[in-house]
Amino acid sequence: MTHIAVADQEPELHHPRTFIGKYIWSQDHKVIAIQYGCTAIFVGLIALVLSVVMRLQLGFPDQFDFINPNMYLQFVTMHGMIMVVYMLTALLLGGFGNYLIPLMVGTRDMIFPYLNMLSFWFYFLSVLVLLASFFVPGGPTGAGWTLYPPQSILEGTPGSGLGIVLMLVSLAIFIIAFTMGGLNYVTTILQARTRGMTLMRMPLTIWGIFTATILGLFAFPALLVSAIMMLFDGLLGTSFFMPAIVSLGEATDFEGGSPILFQHLFWFFGHPEVYIVALPAFGMVSDVLSIHARKNIFGYRMMVWAIVIIGGLSFVVWAHHMYVSGMNPYFGFFFATTTLIIAVPTAIKVYNWVLTLWQGNIHLTVPMLFAIGFIFTFTHGGLSGLFLGNVVIDMPLSDTFFVVAHFHMVMGVSPILVLYSAIYHWFPLVTGKQLNTRLGMIHFWGTFLGTYAIFLPMHYIGFLGVPRRYYALGDTSFIPDSAHALNANMTIAVIIVALFQLVFIFNLFWTMKREPKSKINPWGAASLEWHTPEVPPGHGNWGKELPTVHRWAYDYSVPGVVQDYIPQHVPDSDVVYESGFDPSTSKREPT
Amino acid sequence: MKGFSALTEKPWLALPDGQLALDPGSGTPPAQIALRFLLMVISIAFVLIFVTFLTRSQYPDFQALAGEPWLPFNQSPRLWATTAVLVAASLAMHWARHSIKAGRPDGVMLGISVGGFLALVFIMAQWTTWNYLTNLGYGINENSANSYFYLFTGLHALHLFGGVVALVRVFIRIGKGYSLEQVAIAVKACTTYWHYLLGLWLLLFFLLTRSPETYAIIAAACGLG
Repeated sequence: MTHIAVADQEPELHHPRTFIGKYIWSQDHKVIAIQYGCTAIFVGLIALVLSVVMRLQLGFPDQFDFINPNMYLQFVTMHGMIMVVYMLTALLLGGFGNYLIPLMVGTRDMIFPYLNMLSFWFYFLSVLVLLASFFVPGGPTGAGWTLYPPQSILEGTPGSGLGIVLMLVSLAIFIIAFTMGGLNYVTTILQARTRGMTLMRMPLTIWGIFTATILGLFAFPALLVSAIMMLFDGLLGTSFFMPAIVSLGEATDFEGGSPILFQHLFWFFGHPEVYIVALPAFGMVSDVLSIHARKNIFGYRMMVWAIVIIGGLSFVVWAHHMYVSGMNPYFGFFFATTTLIIAVPTAIKVYNWVLTLWQGNIHLTVPMLFAIGFIFTFTHGGLSGLFLGNVVIDMPLSDTFFVVAHFHMVMGVSPILVLYSAIYHWFPLVTGKQLNTRLGMIHFWGTFLGTYAIFLPMHYIGFLGVPRRYYALGDTSFIPDSAHALNANMTIAVIIVALFQLVFIFNLFWTMKREPKSKINPWGAASLEWHTPEVPPGHGNWGKELPTVHRWAYDYSVPGVVQDYIPQHVPDSDVVYESGFDPSTSKREPT
Repeated sequence: MKGFSALTEKPWLALPDGQLALDPGSGTPPAQIALRFLLMVISIAFVLIFVTFLTRSQYPDFQALAGEPWLPFNQSPRLWATTAVLVAASLAMHWARHSIKAGRPDGVMLGISVGGFLALVFIMAQWTTWNYLTNLGYGINENSANSYFYLFTGLHALHLFGGVVALVRVFIRIGKGYSLEQVAIAVKACTTYWHYLLGLWLLLFFLLTRSPETYAIIAAACGLG
């Protein structure tokens, strides 16, 4: 049951007066969203630079003296961790979640604005701690983003001193930040929807964010627990995960711990994390496709159920990341089966996106291009997942570049294409200006084709058996010269893609400075967020009275209606029909 | 099946008008919903540690802290005493909650003061237990059973301390002259939290003072043997 009094908390809204109150210690969800977004994009750029350096080493081994094996491992680790946790999770949920939830469900702010502010500052602190690890003796951890013990805390692994400690502490702080934000998102969606906004009238973006947040709340504790236990092992000498082991020729004091336990805990978080990133992306891409094809989303209910089912299933597939760690064959069979079952709701979503486009009035705007690009990359990444989900196929392919190509297609490129789509789509709402289309087109084609140029050949070299995480391949008879040539090609593609991202950054500044104000609701969207009294929405979002919702968010191209969309807050009595059209029978009078 | 019918609604059809008029006064307070989610999050964290604990308890190097006469928690008057303190804290909080219903501000103040104070006493008592164990030679890194004892009780104490911080905020609010209605939800939430942590402690107490045979049975029952 929603709580209108909760949604409409105007008298209690905290009105900031000073610059610091408005932009720094802000409790306004929109400012917090932008703070989250800017921080996430900033760390994302750092991770992008790290990936370029990694690729330089892989494409042209022995050419660059400044990259040594330790640094290579550290960059791999930091690239992975930053991109997955500090960039994608933070930008999708902290950024877009914060901005869109109150606007799309029709409330004035998050239910606990103060907690929301704390959430951002804890996130910011976690980023600072993480970045600090670049500057401590030994540098950041180089244990791989999975941080598997025993190597992550044993000498010999780069960053096994302070680096891993800072990483674990930073993750713990991030999880506290996420929990504060997540409690806010879930409670706001459940309790503060405006009048008429039933659960099934929420845009799919909100469904995606909602389910992903619940996944996050239930999955991040596993990472927190493993981080704390690993800190105990590293700092206090306990043996939760550390077996009796000889390190650098000397016996350690560890005894009897199980590294596999860590893997279970890590992947109990790690797999849902994929969907924490993917589900908001699924939601946003559904909305973008529907709006820019001027057609209602195909199979709305199926889409919602698919999101919920995917969310549930994501908790029972984690061990497919551990086939090579060794397990009971029945266990492997179970996890392979559940993994393949996830393909069903996911395929339903892909078909529904395509069917939404079918016979739609497709506008090839920049957000739409990114959204369509996502359908390609996601299908592609999903299909290679079907291979890896099977134990027998995963065994030989595990730890090769095939896996790297798979997860980059499915949870690297795909969510990032959606993020770009979402930024281009909602930028006019956030700033009142529309990002330059020509630059956007250049950015899209460079990114879309460029990422294919990186990751398509990567599948191939993976099939040849080129292992991941290796600083240099050395003399290996089974790797043909063509694989080395492909590696060099991919590196050039990476550099080109990275340069195309600068076009995007330039576009942000160019648009803010040079572009004129765009018209309000330039895409003709029906969902609530575009129908605030002011654009960009002011403090408190809705003026004196909250909107009342009369329909779902997908009334596009309704037969007989003059305008090609009906906003969610327009009652049936205010809908203008073409002359001679009878809405009760949906027929035209014969003329 | 309210949730089920909510998920089977067909949003593209017009809704009957009646459903638009949601009653603003009804519904669970948001703070309570948030608290329920928070308790779920904490529960998941502890359940995950339980699972690793039970798995670890079946490894050959694991030496339980009870089961033989010379082990520190074979008889555990110390832990029974701390349990009594936590039970009293919970009762005090319950009294505060009851006083809200009865409209007695002094009862609320007394209840949360005693509840918060006893929680701090409990944390201190846990601290002395850790010292006691260390002095007996059961240090944190001596054996994984010890490690788990420190980990579990430390995390539990940390959560209780977080509750005390929240309670101090309520205390300050009442001191500032907030009415009982204004703090009612917070006091209720704190009481729920105290009861939850008491329940969690009882579970921990039970789990940490078992003999190796009992662990074997529990682990086998959970499929972890």
